[in-house]
Amino acid sequence: MAPLLQAQSIGKTYPGGTVANDGVNLTIMPGEVHAVVGENGAGKSTLMKILFGMEQPDTGQLLVDGKTVSFANPREAIDAGIGMVFQHFSLVPSFSVYENVVLGSEPRHGMKFDRAKAIAAVRELSERFRLHVDPLPAVGDLPVGQQQRVEILKALYRDARILILDEPTAVLAPQEVAELFVAVRSLVEQGRTVIFIAHKLPEVLEISDRITVMRAGKTVGEVMASEVTEQSLATMMVGREVTLRVDRATREGALVCEIKALNIVGENGTTLADDLNIKVHAGEILGLVGVEGNGQAELLQAIAGLRPIAHGVAYLDAQSLGPMSVRERRAIGLASIPEDRIAQGLASGASVAENLVATKLGDRRFVRRGLLDLKAIKAHAEQLIAQFSIRVGNSRAAVGTLSGGNMQKVVVARELAEQPRLLLVNQPTRGVDLGATQFIWKSITQARDGGAAVLLSSADLSELLALSDRLVVFYRGRIVAAFISAEDLSPETLGTYMLGLDRQDDRTMRAALR
Amino acid sequence: MSARSYSRWSAVGRETGRAALALLIAVIVALVIVLATSTDPLKAFSTLLTGPLSSNRTIGLWIDDVAKLTLTGLAFSLVFQARQFSMGVQGQVYMGGLFAALVAMSPVGGTMFAIPLAVLAAMLAGAAYGFLPGYAKARFGASEIVSSLMLNYIAILVVNFIVRAYLAPAGSGQLMTKDFPDTAIFPAIIPGTRFDLGIVIALLATVLVWFLLYRTAWGLKLRLVGHNPGFAEYAGIRSSVIMVSAMTAAGAIGGLLGAVFVQGRAFGNIAVDFDGNLAFEGILIAIVARSRPLAVPFVALCYGYLRQGAQLMGLRTDVPSEMIGVIQAIIILLVASSFSLPGRKTLQRWFKPRSRLPAGASAGEAR
Repeated sequence: MAPLLQAQSIGKTYPGGTVANDGVNLTIMPGEVHAVVGENGAGKSTLMKILFGMEQPDTGQLLVDGKTVSFANPREAIDAGIGMVFQHFSLVPSFSVYENVVLGSEPRHGMKFDRAKAIAAVRELSERFRLHVDPLPAVGDLPVGQQQRVEILKALYRDARILILDEPTAVLAPQEVAELFVAVRSLVEQGRTVIFIAHKLPEVLEISDRITVMRAGKTVGEVMASEVTEQSLATMMVGREVTLRVDRATREGALVCEIKALNIVGENGTTLADDLNIKVHAGEILGLVGVEGNGQAELLQAIAGLRPIAHGVAYLDAQSLGPMSVRERRAIGLASIPEDRIAQGLASGASVAENLVATKLGDRRFVRRGLLDLKAIKAHAEQLIAQFSIRVGNSRAAVGTLSGGNMQKVVVARELAEQPRLLLVNQPTRGVDLGATQFIWKSITQARDGGAAVLLSSADLSELLALSDRLVVFYRGRIVAAFISAEDLSPETLGTYMLGLDRQDDRTMRAALR
Repeated sequence: MSARSYSRWSAVGRETGRAALALLIAVIVALVIVLATSTDPLKAFSTLLTGPLSSNRTIGLWIDDVAKLTLTGLAFSLVFQARQFSMGVQGQVYMGGLFAALVAMSPVGGTMFAIPLAVLAAMLAGAAYGFLPGYAKARFGASEIVSSLMLNYIAILVVNFIVRAYLAPAGSGQLMTKDFPDTAIFPAIIPGTRFDLGIVIALLATVLVWFLLYRTAWGLKLRLVGHNPGFAEYAGIRSSVIMVSAMTAAGAIGGLLGAVFVQGRAFGNIAVDFDGNLAFEGILIAIVARSRPLAVPFVALCYGYLRQGAQLMGLRTDVPSEMIGVIQAIIILLVASSFSLPGRKTLQRWFKPRSRLPAGASAGEAR
């Protein structure tokens, strides 16, 4: 069978001198699910942008159906039958699902937009490819998983034969991932080809037929998914052996953070969290388990000072946090790794050095009489860049130019530059590659061993189970279960509590909450 | 170290090239318009291109414009860096002009303190006027775009009224005051021209704004708020304070521009509608300079030259005055659009036809 899409010795160097692709080869056969894996910064995204016409290669060529092509822009790639679903969606939130799908190539009836036809077309597509989504509601009201389906439908509506999914599972809950895979399989059954960019290896092995591995801008191999294991694939990706295990807490210290009868109310008056009672001790990680949107993130925001506390108190070292400003909270040892590094954790247009010092502008080391000590700021940045092995040319580079994993390392480096008393962590490794995950986990456990009390929330259950010393489960803003040890807990046990199917009795819960 | 400064300078080079290309296109379009409307297009066109350098006087006119464009460009750059879209420079110019005039016409005006005190009064008035929309936004959530634009009208109309009714010589029916005492008017650097203290003030203000933005904690906070207000809040920066103070500081520069207007050798008095809508052209300057204070004077220099050339062409040749307006608008349009996304992509393609053409040519051959 002739390959459908080929990229031959693609080279791409960005104006800053970054070599993103260097002799990359990719061969996609028709009707397969082909995964492209590699750490962040390995050049996957650049390669996909070249395939989709967003970037033009400096060297090498693209072939579709054996014919040389060059795409000056995405339009030409779409015309050649290539569709792309980005990690960050490009949808109009206030438009309905069907409007988003047909936007730009609307069916017409004379001069008029033929809505009925558009709705019917979207229904037909979503049934054919098992991408169930109602065409009528506004996209902004849908959960992320459904928005992603809208993106896929958008590409299919434009008759994409080759669908590129850029880290599609990074934003999904486990159940949504399973549904996505069902859709991917039905796409392949109906003759479409899927290119799947990822770095969560179990998923890659589950869904793909063949795998191309990239490392540092080069392709290092192409393997059949049936012939490799997670471990061998990880070794290929990183170029050395990796282990994703962390040591548990060795000791438990004094009470650091106590939360009493805490209640959080949203801007529209709905109760987001109610009657939370939690104690966290120095040197332990308390995992906050729950399906997203059940109050874990809101609790962390309220402690960090980004959300008001309606009732109840949160103490850090016996001082009530409620009346304090964010800056005062940080001054007494609070550190926070927020959920979304781009929206909240970083100023992506500012330099790495500026981001690293942003929370310390009251510190006399960096600011005296209102003037910046640029030398100290630069030295501070260079020290942290080395200590946290952040891959960046120099400390003046804008944070936005870094890969996801390196951006997250900047956040972690800033928050853990000094030993915190209380560390709030939300989704520390979302969209982050293996090497960086390993590093970030180690940084969090080091902070714990240094005496920090850690509150950890994550959508990735395996992450919670690997890191947490104790766990509490949230359901609809309340704690419904608590566990003293994460060692022998199964995801299924947690799942029943997460979905609200069961609730621990008060005595067991109180014993585990201490 | 050398690689670092290299990439920095190459970025500056790219931006400059882009601006220069836009200006070139603007000049070509102007040429077409001149060819279509003038009986002596050669003369008209050479006036556009060389007019500003034709005499000391015209150089003075040009440099006077550069000083004013620089100041308004700085005021806009400051708020744009904080990602506030306050359009209030014009109102601040009127308020600053009024207070500078009041000081100049008071007994102080005859002393050696006239210039510093009038400039200071103008800056305070401008700052107060810049503070208002900032406070309204921080306290009540009022859109700074709307409130600052409305405040502009209030300032223009109130100042015009005060000038006409109270400051102009009584019963004369004039729309301007008598000339200020010499001690209150900026000294000329080249005698007999408008090349005066204004340009020095503009350059000092450039350095000051640069210093505030890039060397002080306030400036870093301001830029962080501009990059990502959500991040600033999370990092413990009080973004509302920064927002209001940025608008106030920009207001002080707007007020300063008011003083430069009325105390400069171009006027030496305060008249009705004295700013000639120059204040708004700071938006263009700030956009092209990417809100970088150190780039502002250079952009003002180039843009001011074309602006003055077009005006001289209107005065000295038969190109109709309406067409001068059209040419100016086209210059603004082209320069500004080269910095918005679609224009940028097109320009990039023009810049590197090599990488595209052979690839496109080989597409059909299917080697």
